Amino acid sequence: MKRSLKVFAVSLGFAAWTITAGAQNVVKIGEIEAQTGSLNTYGWMSSQGMRMAVDEINKAGGFEVAGKKYTLELVNPDTQGNPQQALIQLKKMLEEDKVKYVFGPFLTNVFKGIEGYAKQHDGQFLLMGGATQIHYELGKPGNGYLIRTWNWDAGPSGFGTLMVDYLKKKGVKKVAMLMQNDAFGHVAGDIYREAFKGAGIEFEENWFEPGSKDYSAVLAKIAAGKPDYLFPGYTDAVLYDIVQQATQLGLTKFWLVRGSLGPALKNKDYIDDYVAYIPKYFEEAEKTEPKIGKFVAAYKAFYKTKDFPYDQAPLCSSSCYDHVYMLVEAMKKAGTVDDVAKVRAALEEFTYDGLWKIRFDKTGEEIFNFDIVDVQKGGKIAVTHVQPK
Amino acid sequence: MLQLVVGQLLNGIIVGTLYAIIALGVTLTFGITGIVNFALGAFMMLGAYVTWYLTDGIGIPYPLAVALAVIFIALFGLVVDQALFRFTRNNLINGLIVSIGLISVIVAVVLMIWTTTPQNMHYVLPGVFRIGGVIVPRMKACVFVVLLLVILFTYGALTRTWAGRAAYAYAQNPEAAALMGVRTNVLQAGVAAYSAALAGLGGALYASLYSITPEIGSGYILKGVEAAILAGIGSVMGSFAGGIIIGVAEGVGSIFLPSAYNDAYGLVFLVLILLLKPAGLFAANR
Repeated sequence: MKRSLKVFAVSLGFAAWTITAGAQNVVKIGEIEAQTGSLNTYGWMSSQGMRMAVDEINKAGGFEVAGKKYTLELVNPDTQGNPQQALIQLKKMLEEDKVKYVFGPFLTNVFKGIEGYAKQHDGQFLLMGGATQIHYELGKPGNGYLIRTWNWDAGPSGFGTLMVDYLKKKGVKKVAMLMQNDAFGHVAGDIYREAFKGAGIEFEENWFEPGSKDYSAVLAKIAAGKPDYLFPGYTDAVLYDIVQQATQLGLTKFWLVRGSLGPALKNKDYIDDYVAYIPKYFEEAEKTEPKIGKFVAAYKAFYKTKDFPYDQAPLCSSSCYDHVYMLVEAMKKAGTVDDVAKVRAALEEFTYDGLWKIRFDKTGEEIFNFDIVDVQKGGKIAVTHVQPK
Repeated sequence: MLQLVVGQLLNGIIVGTLYAIIALGVTLTFGITGIVNFALGAFMMLGAYVTWYLTDGIGIPYPLAVALAVIFIALFGLVVDQALFRFTRNNLINGLIVSIGLISVIVAVVLMIWTTTPQNMHYVLPGVFRIGGVIVPRMKACVFVVLLLVILFTYGALTRTWAGRAAYAYAQNPEAAALMGVRTNVLQAGVAAYSAALAGLGGALYASLYSITPEIGSGYILKGVEAAILAGIGSVMGSFAGGIIIGVAEGVGSIFLPSAYNDAYGLVFLVLILLLKPAGLFAANR
C-alpha cells in the first residue's frame, strides 16, 4: 500500500513537472482570418498552411532558442470576415492567451476594425497580415507591431507595376476597370490609375454596388467603349459572375491582380485571354520544384484528401506555411521568443527559401517571387515567372 | 446608344420577372393570410441551393432538379405555415417577427451545410441570342419565358377557377367567403404553400444565372416587396409590372447614372410612384 502511494506521488509529481515545463516551452501563435464566409478566399488557405507548419515543427521535436526547446500552439478562430468578431478574438489572444505573434488579417475592413486596439499594444506583439491598408501604415510612429505579408502593387518592385508592364508588352491601348464600390476597390482604383497612366495605357473606371449579381448594364456600357482588356473585381465571389456575363457581351479579355484562375477555366471556351497575377502556379510548380511537390504530398497526407486546392494554394504566399517557419527562424536568430522587437529585426535580415523566396524590406513589407498566368481560349496556359528586385 | 438602351430594357424586363415572382408570392400571402412574409426571400435562397445541390452535387438533370426543388420548398412552406404562421394570421407584426426569426434559422442551417463560399452551377444553357445588335443570354430568355408562363398561369387560375375566385372573395371579405362555404384554413395553407413554391421556383431559376450565397434572399425579398408595393399589394398582374419597372429602372438607370448605386434607382421610382399614387400603380385593378 505504502509502495503504491509512493509510486502515485512520484507519478503525480512527474506529471505536474511535465505540465509546468510544457507550458513554459510553448510559443503561442495566433491567426485572425476569415476561414468561412464570402470573403474567406484569402484566409482559408492561410489557415490550412499554418496548421500544417505548426504540426510539422512540433512533430520534428519543436525548435531550440537560446538552449531551450519550444513547441508551437496555434490559436486560430474564424473571423468570417467580420471586423467585430476579429476584434473580440484579438483581445482574447492578447489578453487571455498572451499571444505575441498574430498572423492576418488579409481583409482591409477587418484590419481597420482591429487597428485601433492593436496600436494600443504596439511593442507587445507582431501582427503579420496581408491587408492592403497595412501598406499605408508601415513605418509610421506607433506601428512597430505591423508587418505586411504580401507583395505591394505599386513601385518598381510592385507586382502591379510588373503586371501592367506585361500588358503593355502585349500592345494594349485601353483597359476598363470594373471594381466593387468599397474601400479596397477605391484603393485599387488609386493604384492602377497611376500605374496605367505611367505605362501610357488609357484607363476607364467603372464601379458596381457591393452585393450585385447582375452586371449586365455596366458591362454593356463598358463593351460599348471597346476596351482591349477588362480589369474586374478582386474576389472570386464576384469574378465568376462578371467573367460569365462579360463574355456574353463580347468582352473576352481579362487582366486581374487578385482572384483565382477558376473563372477563366470555367469559361475557357468563351474567353480569349485571361491574364492573372498568381503568386505561384502550383499545377506547374508541383512538377518542376521538388519543394512544391513535397508540400502538395504533405498537404494531402495531413488533410487526408486526394484533392489539393490548386486554386487556393497560391494565397499561401501570405501569412501561411512559410511564414511560420520564417518566424521560428527569426526567433532562433534573435535568441528570444518573447522580445518582439528583436524578432522583428531578425525577420528583416534574411531571405527565406521555402515555397517562395521571401524577404521583408526595411518597412516590414514582403517581397516574393510570383507568376503571371496567361489562360487562353480552350484553357491553354502560359506561365511567366517573375522575381522582383 | 439606342442599342445599349434597348439591351438594358430587355435585361431589365428579364431580371424584373425574378423580382415579380417574389412580389407575386408576397401579394398572395398578404391578401389571404394578412402578413408580409419576408421569409419568402429565404425560401428563394433555399430553392437555389437545393437545385444546385441536386444538379451539381447528385447529378440530377436541371429541369427535374427544378421541379424537385419547387416541390420541396412548397412542402417546406406548408410545414412552416402550419407550425408557425398559422398562429399569426392577420397580425402583421407577429407575422413579421416570425418571418424574421425563420430567415435567421434558414440562413444559419444553409451556412452550416454549405458555408458562405459562393457556389456556381454548371452552365445549363450557354450562349446568347443576337437580335440586331442586342444580346440576350439564352438562359435568361428561358428563365423569362418560364416565369412569365407561371405568372400568367397564376393569374388565370385566380380569375377562372372556383378556388381562385374563392381566394379573391376571401381577400375582399373573409366572413362572407366563409359563409359561402370557402374552407378558409385550407385556402390559407394552400396559398402559403403556393407562394413558397413560387419563391422556390425563382431560386431554382436564379441558380442557373448567378452564383449563389446565403444572403441572396435578403436582396430579392426587398425587391419583391418593393415591386408589390409599387404595384399596390393585392394586384397579381401589378406585381409582374412592378417587378419589371424596378428591373428596368435599375438596368436603364445604370446606363445614364453611376452603376455603383443601381439598387437606388428602383427605390427612387417607387417613391415617385407612391407620391403620385399612394395605393400603388394598380391598386384598383385586382
